[in-house]
Amino acid sequence: MTPTAIGDDLFDKGKLRGKKFRNTVIILGILTLLGIIGFALRVIDTIGDGTHNTPIWGYHAALFAFILTAAQGAPMVAIAPRIAKAHWRRSISRIAELFGLVGVVSFLIYIPVAWVLPSMEDGRRTLWFYGELKVPAHMPEVTTTLVLLALTITGLVLLWVSAMPDFAMLRDRTTGSKQRWFAWLARGWIGSSKQWHWQKHRLGIVGAFYFMMLITAHFAYSVDFGMTLVPGWIDALYPATHAHNSLQSGVAITLIAMYVLYRFGGYKDYITLDQFWGLGKLLFALSLLWFWFWFSSFIIFWFGAKPAEEAVLDLLFVGPYLWIVFIVFIFAFFVPLWSMIWNPLRKSVWGPVTIASGVLVATMFDKIRLYVAAFSVSDLPNKHELVDILPGAVMPGVPDVLIWVGGISACILIYMLATRIIPPINVWEQKEVTLYRIHKPFHRTEVQILGKPD
Amino acid sequence: MQEHVQLTQRQINEDLLSSVLKTPRWWWPAVIVSAAIFLTGIGAFGYMLNQGVGVTGLNRPVFWGVYMVNFVFFIGISHAGIMISAILRLTQAEWRRPVTRAAEVLTVFSLMSALMAAPLVHVGRPWRADLWVFPYDFARGVWINIRSPFVWDPSAVMTYLTASTLFVFVALIPDLAIVRDRTDGLTRKFYAMMAMGWRGTPRQWKLQAVAGILLSALVLPVFVSVHSIVSWDFAVQIAPEAWHSTIFAPYFIIGAIHSGVSAVATLMVIMVWVWGWGKYLKPDHLDAIGRLLIVVATTWFFFFFLEWVFALYTLEDPELAVRELQVFQWPWSGLFVVFLFTAYLIPVPMWMFRSVRRSYFWMFVTTILVNIGMWLERFLIIVPGTMRRGDFIFDWGSYHPSIIEILMVIMTFAWVALGMLVFTKLFPLIPLFDVKEGMVFRDEIRIGRRVVPASIRE
Amino acid sequence: MALRSVIGLYTDEDTAANALDAVAGAGFDKGEYDVLTGTPYPDGTFGEEEPVHKLYRFPLIGAACGFTVGLLLTTGTQLAFPLITGGKPLLSIPPMAIIMYEGTMLGAILFTVVGIIFESRLPRMFMGAYDTRITEGYIGVTITSDESKMERAEETLKSAGAEEVKRGWEQTDF
Repeated sequence: MTPTAIGDDLFDKGKLRGKKFRNTVIILGILTLLGIIGFALRVIDTIGDGTHNTPIWGYHAALFAFILTAAQGAPMVAIAPRIAKAHWRRSISRIAELFGLVGVVSFLIYIPVAWVLPSMEDGRRTLWFYGELKVPAHMPEVTTTLVLLALTITGLVLLWVSAMPDFAMLRDRTTGSKQRWFAWLARGWIGSSKQWHWQKHRLGIVGAFYFMMLITAHFAYSVDFGMTLVPGWIDALYPATHAHNSLQSGVAITLIAMYVLYRFGGYKDYITLDQFWGLGKLLFALSLLWFWFWFSSFIIFWFGAKPAEEAVLDLLFVGPYLWIVFIVFIFAFFVPLWSMIWNPLRKSVWGPVTIASGVLVATMFDKIRLYVAAFSVSDLPNKHELVDILPGAVMPGVPDVLIWVGGISACILIYMLATRIIPPINVWEQKEVTLYRIHKPFHRTEVQILGKPD
Repeated sequence: MQEHVQLTQRQINEDLLSSVLKTPRWWWPAVIVSAAIFLTGIGAFGYMLNQGVGVTGLNRPVFWGVYMVNFVFFIGISHAGIMISAILRLTQAEWRRPVTRAAEVLTVFSLMSALMAAPLVHVGRPWRADLWVFPYDFARGVWINIRSPFVWDPSAVMTYLTASTLFVFVALIPDLAIVRDRTDGLTRKFYAMMAMGWRGTPRQWKLQAVAGILLSALVLPVFVSVHSIVSWDFAVQIAPEAWHSTIFAPYFIIGAIHSGVSAVATLMVIMVWVWGWGKYLKPDHLDAIGRLLIVVATTWFFFFFLEWVFALYTLEDPELAVRELQVFQWPWSGLFVVFLFTAYLIPVPMWMFRSVRRSYFWMFVTTILVNIGMWLERFLIIVPGTMRRGDFIFDWGSYHPSIIEILMVIMTFAWVALGMLVFTKLFPLIPLFDVKEGMVFRDEIRIGRRVVPASIRE
Repeated sequence: MALRSVIGLYTDEDTAANALDAVAGAGFDKGEYDVLTGTPYPDGTFGEEEPVHKLYRFPLIGAACGFTVGLLLTTGTQLAFPLITGGKPLLSIPPMAIIMYEGTMLGAILFTVVGIIFESRLPRMFMGAYDTRITEGYIGVTITSDESKMERAEETLKSAGAEEVKRGWEQTDF
């Protein structure tokens, strides 16, 4: 296809929205409202109690962790292959970057969790060495909030910078109020060589900054809202494990979004086997690494067999949440390992998507295990060792189920609505690849030539 | 800027086989010096065997000293080969072509040095070293204890050594055929036997390509596991302070990649300086390695930060005492400062500059600094942890390496140098077929007035 | 019947590809002729079919063997010498998993290397017709067939533009 034909085709596809889309939006809207109702019920429980009643917020905290891990890790699928100059990412980079918008919903979900987090005055170990250092008692909430805000803003900036040339295209093809909006979003983009030069630099810098903020966000949330709440849990690898899970789930969620657009969005000419294969390979590698991260923590606790460590193992692994550990293990590692090892499955559309669904289910259960367990012991009197009788598994109540359903629906809703404004396929990158990818005869065969500009 | 010079197969053969078919004047003196240093180390080893480990600086409570540091250091260097070779092969990075074999061979000889450092030398009674790996005495029914990290270690290191050696050999076969075709007599018979009748049919080339990808994919998990297991020698223990941390596995691995890739960069510069292979190992390659090193070094620094933060997070007195020793007490504080500056604070800011990354001299200097820093890093992890400085602990010890230990550490470096020198005499250090393939697969795309380098993708 | 081989040397890819066509046109079977190069080319450069191999079976078999050996070693040694060390129970899965994993990978890699050598049809006792200039950039087209077809083979290669045609070492079937 010529660049003009690509622009025309993607512009036309962007206009297509049928009954299915509208009905889905309505359903998601209703589910989001249910989620708000669930949240209101939890707030009533908390206020009625007179205290922050932190343990009942475990499922809410887990929901935020799940969205941070899955959705906000997705933009890395655009950032990392762009740095590696992999051409296959072009069709899917916007699909990944759109998840930056979900950060807005995610931040709203986070706010109540920050509200209910106990103050450092309760005497628990923290990264802030409260007592040794003269920091405010609510330092964890403040820093995590700032970091998450920065992450959300960076995600939005990344999306905006990436979409600017496409906004210009939409500005030039629309009229009336739509044209004014796109003109504002395009910020005077005319496609000069200086603008293109700076576009590349900006994407690189914003992308690198997003990666750093993502790691910092996972570090802050996993430690201050998870590890410090469990007496005796000292795991230096945990922040890195949490961040790695984000990369794995980010790839998984991008695969699923890709599939929906491929199947229902009419983008089969752009989202091809190459993209599914590329992400499938990444998902396979990240799933193997999942096991390595988990085992590296586990073997230290298991072998050391210190009482504090054994208690933490009991709480998080072999105790009340053992059945969740099995589910997570199977879907995050075992199934991807034994299925993705087969080339025919890895190099297919349905294979990586099915595995990705399993990975997301595993991530969901994993966050529930970690945060529900952590919040369930957050009000124990002994802050340095888990010596009290281990609490049983906390089952979700009706408000928790509503919150989960509503939260996830809100994320999907905002993503879907965004695709009405922002093309889900990066038009300018699609046009760019026609410059760098050609097929030509090579003696008795035909080969694909890929250019690698500096 | 991407420089490219299109060369014929004959030119490539002449250039890259110069190390095998000709002997430069410096080669023999270099071999003799390396061998002399190596044999001096062997002599020191013999003296230690005769007199006992008391001739070293090791004593209660510091039972692990520079031998163990050396072991971990060389395991780290050995990670370069697979990192560069396997990962860059899987990502189809074109710039890997002239670098892979040197990195893989460095891996093999570094692993041998690591095995020298620990099982041979550190154990004190090496004739018993096999007993914790292999079955001891059937009649007495005593078997190995597989629950010990010291049994996991040999299984991992030997697997990695075997895999790396086979990886080198499989990729060497086409080049052995080239050398076979350029030699005669007994030499020819030797290379013909090793080349196993390689002719260069499409089937054989196809299998070389598949082999590269498949072996890379198989060796990568081994690469991750080896240094994880070596790190668990320390991390699973609860007695020495500052060791029992879950971060050790990724921390050691990323440190290994940092020191290993730096060692490969050092080796690349040496190859250009002594063999004159500047046409093949261009500033572009050093630039790519430099950028990789920035990412790796920064990731390493993040894990270093995590290790420290969570060590302090424990608020345990013995742990804090070790950290205080490392940072505030001389000479450890001096070593700590040197380590930080050489491993990160000097090289990484320098690598931010393109002119530094593209300079053979500065890349040589910075990568040597990195390896000095990384050796000190391992020293600062291992020795202070065993010194047990803390309140109400009366089993204090200090540690000074003796001349015997120093000679044996130098011996391990001499072994790597000797091994590389002998290898370059027998086999080409830059893979000829890989470089030739790069020439065939190279193309250009003309976009207006600009010519963009491209390559064929199958 | 004894097999003989002959090689034609060509200086460029297109002439070599034309020679392959001529050889096929002269009635030789696919298994009787081949092209030799000193560097890998993209599949199908000379019009040849993509080689089919079964290399992927080898690492699977090797992994299974390695896993079994690892399992037997770890289980067997612990049952043979049932001593509790470090408070760890007998048949502790984490340490067993490490050694079994290494055994699996070692088995997979060893078998893969054997598979690579086997599928490359190496080691080859008789090189057949070969010329050392192959590794200098020449492209060789070889024909291995009965003695009776050798003259026809030489004619075909010469008329296709070979710089030189020569007979190679003789290969006899046993």
